[in-house]
Amino acid sequence: MMESASTKPTTTAGSQRFLAFSLGVEDFAVPLLSVREVVALPEMTRVPNTSGYFSGIMNLRGQIISVFDLRLRFGMKAEHGSETAVIIHNFSQLCFGVVVSSVNNVLSLKDTDISEKPDFQDMQANAYITGVSRYNDKLVLLLDVVKALRLEDIAALKQSAKNKSAA
Amino acid sequence: MIDKIFRLAHNIKGSAQAVGFSEIGEFSHKLESLLLKIKKGDIKLSTPTVTLLLECNDYLRSSVESLKRGETLAVDEKLAARVLNATGGQAHTEGSINQISDDLDLDAQLDQIMSNSPELVEGLASPLPTDQLLADAAAFASTIISELTQENLAPISPTPPPNTSKEHAPKARTTDTPDESIRVSLSRVEKLVDNIGELVILQTVLTENRHQLPTQFLQKTITQLAKISKEIQDIAMGLRLVPLKQTFQKMQRIVRDTAQSLNKDVLLEISGEDSELDKTVVDRLGDPLVHLVRNAVDHGLESTEARLAAGKSSQGTIKLRAYHRSGRIAIEVRDDGHGLNPDLLRKKGIEKGLISANQNYSDQELFALIFHPGFSTKSAVTDISGRGVGLDVVKTNIEKLLQGEVQLETVRGEGTCFRITLPLTMAIIDGMVVRAGRERYIVPLTHVHESVRPRQNDISSHTGLGLVLNLRGEAMPMHRLARLLGDNSPPQAENREETAIVVRSGTHPYAIIVDEIVGRQQVVIKKLGDELANVKGMSGGAILGDGCAAVILDLNELMHQGTAKSKPVVASIRGAA
Repeated sequence: MMESASTKPTTTAGSQRFLAFSLGVEDFAVPLLSVREVVALPEMTRVPNTSGYFSGIMNLRGQIISVFDLRLRFGMKAEHGSETAVIIHNFSQLCFGVVVSSVNNVLSLKDTDISEKPDFQDMQANAYITGVSRYNDKLVLLLDVVKALRLEDIAALKQSAKNKSAA
Repeated sequence: MIDKIFRLAHNIKGSAQAVGFSEIGEFSHKLESLLLKIKKGDIKLSTPTVTLLLECNDYLRSSVESLKRGETLAVDEKLAARVLNATGGQAHTEGSINQISDDLDLDAQLDQIMSNSPELVEGLASPLPTDQLLADAAAFASTIISELTQENLAPISPTPPPNTSKEHAPKARTTDTPDESIRVSLSRVEKLVDNIGELVILQTVLTENRHQLPTQFLQKTITQLAKISKEIQDIAMGLRLVPLKQTFQKMQRIVRDTAQSLNKDVLLEISGEDSELDKTVVDRLGDPLVHLVRNAVDHGLESTEARLAAGKSSQGTIKLRAYHRSGRIAIEVRDDGHGLNPDLLRKKGIEKGLISANQNYSDQELFALIFHPGFSTKSAVTDISGRGVGLDVVKTNIEKLLQGEVQLETVRGEGTCFRITLPLTMAIIDGMVVRAGRERYIVPLTHVHESVRPRQNDISSHTGLGLVLNLRGEAMPMHRLARLLGDNSPPQAENREETAIVVRSGTHPYAIIVDEIVGRQQVVIKKLGDELANVKGMSGGAILGDGCAAVILDLNELMHQGTAKSKPVVASIRGAA
């Protein structure tokens, strides 16, 4: 599996940074290292025959990038407000955008701040939550976006292709 | 020419010894001796000598490759011995070299090296990786050797016609002054092109709104800026273009080797090698071209005896030609052989069960058989061609990977010509921007045969067939683009803009109804992410004039998928056509 997708990347100080964002009223966070940039909600072109949470493609300074909507993925309502933004993720070769309700702040979490995820009944949901943390008395779920969007096969392919070319 | 090769061999020897690749050093020393003899005129250039030189080139090249991979060198003692043998059993001593050098005006020599191989000299000056340096030298040497072969092809043909005098001897070349160049990685060029695309879009916004600006001065500046942006865009697009020269020159070697092993006498004429094509296109063109050229030597040209019996000159000619034709580039491989024999093709086709025995086929249909997988008219399988795989692969590769076409022309007794037509660049296409439902899509203009606004009574609906368009008496299936793309909402009533696009590039003609043709635009093809790789019917993405992203449709794939899923009946009636 890819290192950057896990919530335990290498940081010498024992703490790592996360980008926190909201989907509806719930708070989530992803490793900051995997985030390339955050852009305001752009104009998107829908693509036929794609999954329900695929929002479309966007133009990021001349590069065409696929955008997913995490809210639709988690069965929430996808309302576009003034704070709605797209987080552009970059996992090695895989680059995609994710629509979120709002981007909040950057969290610096020590390993002790992160607790093991609780035992969910649903093992499916279990796979993409990598940990839980508490911030300002609110629960923040640490998310593995690649798994949440079911992109792990593509990510693995990319990774192996990269390893091959490096070898 | 010999001087050049000699100097390069000397360079390779020097560099190799300087960095401690003594095997290469020793070998090139022997090679140098041989070249020295040739230079002095002690050894006449003949077919075996040139073959030997070519083998030496191959050996040096593979040595450099294996050094790059960090393997130990396998010394080819046999080849070295042959080189030594050809030299007359004695390698030269350094003294003789110096003598030669003294003969030449040193300054002039240095100048020439400088102008001919700027990269080499640069490499010598800066601490480049040594294997890279060697590779450069080897590549340069091989170019020169292939040029040499080209110039000497007439005199070195296996059985020279007795009346050929030495008039064919290479004429003196004017010293060419090549463009100086630097190496830039393709990804950087692509990034540049991306950003310039954005620049042009922003520029368009400025140009469209310049009337809101108060002063004429600013308005004028914007107009000027627009001109310059356009120019920059053109230049950036040109960065990806490379000449066909290297690819064509490789063919000399292919023809030479193939002709020798088949004991044929073949002359390859090359023209238009300065035509430029997109880098990716040139890279992908190599293999298909090798195949076509080999095919021409093996199957296209008759044996020497058969040629003489047919009253032709014993030497067969293959013409490799590139030229521009209506915004595309055409590459021809033309032989003056016996041409295709439709009767033979028919026999073979029936034998292989590709066509039925009691049906009439036009010559064109029979010729098309040679592109069928598993079809070969040559009875014996040779190691050159004739395995029956190939021409079909050539055709599919050129059509799928290069968006080109392969055409075949043949005249019985006079020869065969394969013509490949390619777009100048893979990066830009002429697109038709169409609207279906809310979204806009791009259809490559090459797919569009014509677009018509059908009248109500040209369209009929049949149970099981869906819509059928009557186009000037020809009936063809018709599909709504929105429907094909999975939008099942009912079409807008009374849409005056509704247009049918007629596509004939697939196996059968069909029509696609779009809600509106928005316009025509040249678009830069962008890759879509891998997460969309499984979605059928899209060949890429592009940015429209207003900065929105849009999908480039592959109508044939879309149709194939759409009909396979919902309308199997259509296929059966079309099958009868």
